[in-house]
Amino acid sequence: MSVHLKQNEPKPNPFPPASPPRDPVGIGLRHPYYEEVTNSPPNVGWLEVHPENYFGGGAHRHFLSKAREKYQLSLHAVGLSLGSTDPVSEEHLRQFKELIDIYQPFNVSDHASWSASGNAHLNDLLPLPYTKESLDTLCRNVERTQEYFGRTMLVENPSTYVAFAENEMSEHEFMNRLSEKTGCGILLDINNIFVQSHNHGLDPFEYIDGIDSSKVGEMHLAGHIEQEVGDGIILIDTHSRPVKKDVWDLYEHAVRRLGSVPTLIEWDQDFPPLSKLVEEANKARDIMNRILNKDITNAAE
Amino acid sequence: MRLSEVQKYFKDTMLDHPKVLDTPPEDFAELFNVGDIPLPERLKVYRNNIIGSLTDVMIASHPLLEKLVGHEFLELMARSFVLENPPTHGCLNMYGAGFDKFIESYELAKALPYLADMAKLEIAMNEAYHAPEDEPLKANELATASPEDLQLKLRQNVQLVSSRYPLDKIRNFCIEDDPDKTMSVDSGGVKMMIYRPELDSVIVKLEDGEYEMLLALNQGVGLNEAVETTLNAHKGFGFQEFLQRHIELETFLALKTNT
Repeated sequence: MSVHLKQNEPKPNPFPPASPPRDPVGIGLRHPYYEEVTNSPPNVGWLEVHPENYFGGGAHRHFLSKAREKYQLSLHAVGLSLGSTDPVSEEHLRQFKELIDIYQPFNVSDHASWSASGNAHLNDLLPLPYTKESLDTLCRNVERTQEYFGRTMLVENPSTYVAFAENEMSEHEFMNRLSEKTGCGILLDINNIFVQSHNHGLDPFEYIDGIDSSKVGEMHLAGHIEQEVGDGIILIDTHSRPVKKDVWDLYEHAVRRLGSVPTLIEWDQDFPPLSKLVEEANKARDIMNRILNKDITNAAE
Repeated sequence: MRLSEVQKYFKDTMLDHPKVLDTPPEDFAELFNVGDIPLPERLKVYRNNIIGSLTDVMIASHPLLEKLVGHEFLELMARSFVLENPPTHGCLNMYGAGFDKFIESYELAKALPYLADMAKLEIAMNEAYHAPEDEPLKANELATASPEDLQLKLRQNVQLVSSRYPLDKIRNFCIEDDPDKTMSVDSGGVKMMIYRPELDSVIVKLEDGEYEMLLALNQGVGLNEAVETTLNAHKGFGFQEFLQRHIELETFLALKTNT
């Protein structure tokens, strides 16, 4: 019943439709940066937010609206649980769509992973076996989401710490097939590729070379940590550090292959001053300028 | 194993006793290829992410409890809560409802009987903060309403809390954070309204009658009946004063949107 009441409420006027950001480098807007980003907007091309933080309304939306006046937005979800055998939550779709209608993001996305099983939502991006059954499950949920939103979405490759014995294909092949079957784009997280390749003894450059380059609509960069375990080292994707040198090298390789794709600097814990994120964003922009041999921020003009 | 079974097994293992990860059951271990990093270490990354991130959400929304019992004890309570009450959906803004009830029956917190009510206060502040935007009832709209049809509803961000402990004073004590100061938690209870007039949650202390009246309206009791019940229990209750004060505070939902 409350759903019907909500549908009758007057909706705030939406922002103008999105256009691809002229400067392809963006940063994540998180709570500690609200005041600074809205009062003295940093020199970056766009902002990314997790839509779940703005569900239902509330005071956070005030800052999101102020931010949207100055920047294009990418709505990057973490809660759709697209890889669950349970169907996507209709309530989650409804709240997400409400934000899309108001804020007119240039990209919407979530992950090739699952979080929910039965009545528990575990708030983490959990691993899928790369099998036909998983692919069918993911395709079904992505198709439902795209149908509900009336637009295509991007799906991101996750960081993984286990590999399933029954895998029938590589992760990049899995991502390519998902994109081919559903029409969704690929959100290529370069740090996740590096982390999962290390953890499973794979070649991250081969992964980038194997991905369908025409489908990549956004790239992500973040920091990870190294943890010693027995005789080995496991890499953990924490979004709590600067991007590592090896990951910048992999990003260079990706830019060479994919060109000027919107790129995000993610930081989700142990927040540094905003200037550190901007510094990382500048680094990504410099790499694109150098590799592509042009000023990418003027390329769209 | 079907994918749905794999996911259920994985979820159950994550929420099980941490020792299970040290020697996972054989049929679970067989699901994975391991390489040079042992399986328990791989699984622990997931468990730490799940339990750690949810515990962090709980800690972040209970800064007063953190002041009262310290980070480590709050973390211990929050972890136990998380394991017993994982979220049921993918939006965590309101996660933690029921933490007050959990604390009431938490053996290690029995010596601090006011702790559960302080959790209730913090849950109310969080819910007020994340409640949807709506329009308040203003005096000019009230003036145009016909008195016999008047029905008052509370805005979605309004929360009501009552305790036999002085939660407001305990809160101030936490905020002042003066190690030389002590306070008595037995100096009488408090009734209050927590709501969000602008960007932050705000606490308003309420008289007994005022609290009863708001509670009745919140439960959907008709205006006349609510006034009558309140007057019967609280002889000093004055409806006009009540109305004026709560129009000024912007407690009520605009009439045009409350049908």
